Amino acid sequence: MSGLELSNLTAVFDGRAVLGPISLKVAEGDRVALVGKSGAGKSTLLKLAFQHGARHAALVPQDLGLVQPLPVFHNVFMGRLDERSLWYNTATLFRPFRRDRQEIGDLLDQVAMGDKLWQPVAALSGGQRQRTALARALYHRSRTLLADEPVSALDGPMAARVMELLRARFPTSLIALHDIDLALAYCNRIVGIQDGHIALDRRADELSESDLLALY
Amino acid sequence: MTLAPTLRTSLIFLAIALAGLMVADISITAVNPWRDLGRFFLGMVTPDFFSYQGLATALLRTVAFAFVGVSLGATFGFLLALAFRWRAVRMGCAFVRAIHELFWALIFLQFFGFHPLTGVLAIAIPYTGIFAKVYSEMLDETDPEPGRTLPPAIGAWLTFLYTRVPQCWQQLCSYTAYRLECGLRSSAILGFVGLPTLGFYLEASFSQGLYSEAGAMLILFYVLIATIPLWLRRPLLPAYIVAAPFFLGDGFPIVWGNVTRFFTSDIVPAPLRHGEGMDGLLVWLADVAVSDALPGLWHTLVLTQVALVLSGIIALVCFPLISKHFTGPVRRTGGHVMLVILRSTPEYVLAYILLQLWGPSMLPAIVALALHNGGIIAHLVGRQSSTLQLRPDAPRGFGRYSYELVPRLYRSFLALLFYRWEIIMRETAILGILGIYTLGFYVDSAIQNIQFDRALLLIVFTALLNLVIDKLSRTIRARLALQTLPTC
Amino acid sequence: MLIRHLRRFACALAMTALPLSAAQADTFVFTAIPDEDETKLIERFQGVADYLAEELDVEVRYVPVKSYAAAVTAFRNNQVQLAWFGGLSGVQARRLVSGSEALAQGAEDESFQTYFIAHSSTGLEASDELPAAIRDRTFTFGSKGSTSGRLMPEFFLRESFGEAPEDIFARVGYSGNHTRTLRLVEAGTYEVGALNFAVWEKELADGNIDTNAVKVIWRTPGYPDYQWTVRGDVDERFGEGFKDRVRTALLELDDPELLASFPREAFIPADNDDYEPIRKVAEEIGILQ
Repeated sequence: MSGLELSNLTAVFDGRAVLGPISLKVAEGDRVALVGKSGAGKSTLLKLAFQHGARHAALVPQDLGLVQPLPVFHNVFMGRLDERSLWYNTATLFRPFRRDRQEIGDLLDQVAMGDKLWQPVAALSGGQRQRTALARALYHRSRTLLADEPVSALDGPMAARVMELLRARFPTSLIALHDIDLALAYCNRIVGIQDGHIALDRRADELSESDLLALY
Repeated sequence: MTLAPTLRTSLIFLAIALAGLMVADISITAVNPWRDLGRFFLGMVTPDFFSYQGLATALLRTVAFAFVGVSLGATFGFLLALAFRWRAVRMGCAFVRAIHELFWALIFLQFFGFHPLTGVLAIAIPYTGIFAKVYSEMLDETDPEPGRTLPPAIGAWLTFLYTRVPQCWQQLCSYTAYRLECGLRSSAILGFVGLPTLGFYLEASFSQGLYSEAGAMLILFYVLIATIPLWLRRPLLPAYIVAAPFFLGDGFPIVWGNVTRFFTSDIVPAPLRHGEGMDGLLVWLADVAVSDALPGLWHTLVLTQVALVLSGIIALVCFPLISKHFTGPVRRTGGHVMLVILRSTPEYVLAYILLQLWGPSMLPAIVALALHNGGIIAHLVGRQSSTLQLRPDAPRGFGRYSYELVPRLYRSFLALLFYRWEIIMRETAILGILGIYTLGFYVDSAIQNIQFDRALLLIVFTALLNLVIDKLSRTIRARLALQTLPTC
Repeated sequence: MLIRHLRRFACALAMTALPLSAAQADTFVFTAIPDEDETKLIERFQGVADYLAEELDVEVRYVPVKSYAAAVTAFRNNQVQLAWFGGLSGVQARRLVSGSEALAQGAEDESFQTYFIAHSSTGLEASDELPAAIRDRTFTFGSKGSTSGRLMPEFFLRESFGEAPEDIFARVGYSGNHTRTLRLVEAGTYEVGALNFAVWEKELADGNIDTNAVKVIWRTPGYPDYQWTVRGDVDERFGEGFKDRVRTALLELDDPELLASFPREAFIPADNDDYEPIRKVAEEIGILQ
């Protein structure tokens, strides 16, 4: 099972409702793109989705949630901390095992970060940090992905490559995207958010770019 | 893959501490240490607040000495901070703060005797050195830009007063208030050498096994420190400062002849006093070095290094107790209470208690230093950890501790630990007065034998050792690019 | 705002200098070496203060101090004019203050003794000689400046073993005072200790010693110990003949309860020469230079 079901989510900020109530059902195989103006409530929805429906999901939050002083390797390795024993995780902190070095090295090669394996995150550029957080999500065992603007700091070809990786890796996903082309190209369902409510929910192949522009 | 520099440094210090542990004298010599510890805790939970009528006076004197000492220190410290760019001022301040308050008290006792000035100066002098340094750093770190926007030719003093001071006024105030807490601890332990503060009565109660009485004193002291934010209010401050000098007690009049005698005769090395010339002086110096300074140095270094690393371990183990990423508010409160107790109990008092309970060896001193310093660092690191935002899917339990928090906090932790290195060394030396063979033991022996020349030489030697450690600590912190706020 | 604070602060500081020199002009002050528990000392010397005040017709005050050296220093600095010293501290004090003299000692102080005591777990038994089996035990003196708790036991140890205490024992400590030496050996914290015989006898009589846990294993030969010492300049300050009046008052002290608190039978005359043997031993060991 990798779908998720959200019902009646609301968020209040400063006494003002900023989101919902929203109900959304994501079935296995749905790759949902959340689109809408900035401030429409996409990030809030993702946060709530994680808290209320998808704790098991791999997550790429907007601020990435990286541990700056640790090298890229460990930040990616953290995707599977829950699977290993205490001593294994502790030992890895001091001296990673060859198998994991290999596996994570290969994974990083796919996002062109193989040479940065031992660099502390603090020393990376914005795009490299984003790819580190993405690698952590790819390393995660979950079949569900929640991601908030995962390719915002990447250039065109790299963004396409990463979206392709995500599509291949996660049968189910909920991704906030401001780039309409990417949304149409890599997702099979589009959910448009406007003023904290769902304004549109259609299959991607039924939509064109102009249908979406109305949301902005 | 190579180890990160912070980790490498940590491992080197760990190795040194383990080597130190091999040669350190560590044992529990008491036959029934746990029974005594039990009796002590029983005393703590059955405090007797009314057995001793002098208790209120003792607390009042403790506060009074702290107030007067810290106020004087702050005033002169501020003035010296203005002159801190002169090398002589910097070195003088570094030197006076390298000498522990208790050593200062022992020096002044020799010529002022039991006069309030002894206690006041014992706090004021080292605190002046510390205030001068920290104030000058705070002033230096203010933005110089506003000064450039001022109209031309208003003079350095006004520029200073209008741009520098206001920018860091809040910091200056909160640091001074924080130092007052330290001053209370310093003031309390001055009682151990005979001044009329809490330590005087604490020592008497403990040595007679009156644990309920001692428990009452400790509890009142914790309450006093924990309630500082309640009674230390800015509008009341002038009243406190004016009143404090009247609560120091009367003591005995100063005989100025004693002061002259101390400086012109007592501290002149014995061979010079007896006209034995340079040869005699060299023999004397060699004797002090071989029989006192070197053994004291060795024990002080071993104890310091072991206590330093153990402090770090305790801090790392304890900080989750007050971190919002691990426990709920109720258990966190429990953690806070524990850490307040650890950091409010002066090392000297802790070591004294443990020595009574476990018998003499380095162990009580190591544990006391580690608990106190570990408590302080755990408190600060724990507080910092609560300000961190973790990603919502961050791992839980030990994974969260080792992957999310410790890596993020390790640099601040290490900075605090290295900052406290010199403080731990200073305390280690002083614990010798309790009978552990660190430098303080030899200073105390010389004083007991009325050999002030020897005592002063050893105190200066201890101060120089502190300066070396301070320098080393700063070098390491600079190399690892670690930054921290001062603690005490 | 800031200026106002600073000004208030400066005023407050100026005040600090004022009350410091409130001198109590002519109170006769005395102290004593802290050789026993504080409560005992205060009880004992408060009685002496009351007695002297009545006899001498001046205000008399007792000040407790935290160490033997502090007692000597207070005497030397003329902050106390009279002191109940041990043999060694008396010698130290009289060397430092010319004109000062020993006035009186306890009847027992002519031939004072140190008891070596041991915890029962050591299996050591009482003997006429210092038992060689105390080697490599843990050992505690009393205060570093004590005669019966440090100087004389060290002297006899050196005489018997020909070595320094640090080389004889596995561990050497300084408990601080005689009561504490007794408690530490009784508790087994140290295996062997040396203390003032009078403290032992008094605690024994009062039933405060667990004789199953600790026993006396050797009694030293006698030596001169405690004495009252007065500064030479008291006559100038308190009037002609004051010193003699103090001596007389002390020698005539016959309140049995007060004497028992010392514990002494009576006070008898003493002079500086009585303590020559102590001076020699202290010089031999290197405590006096």
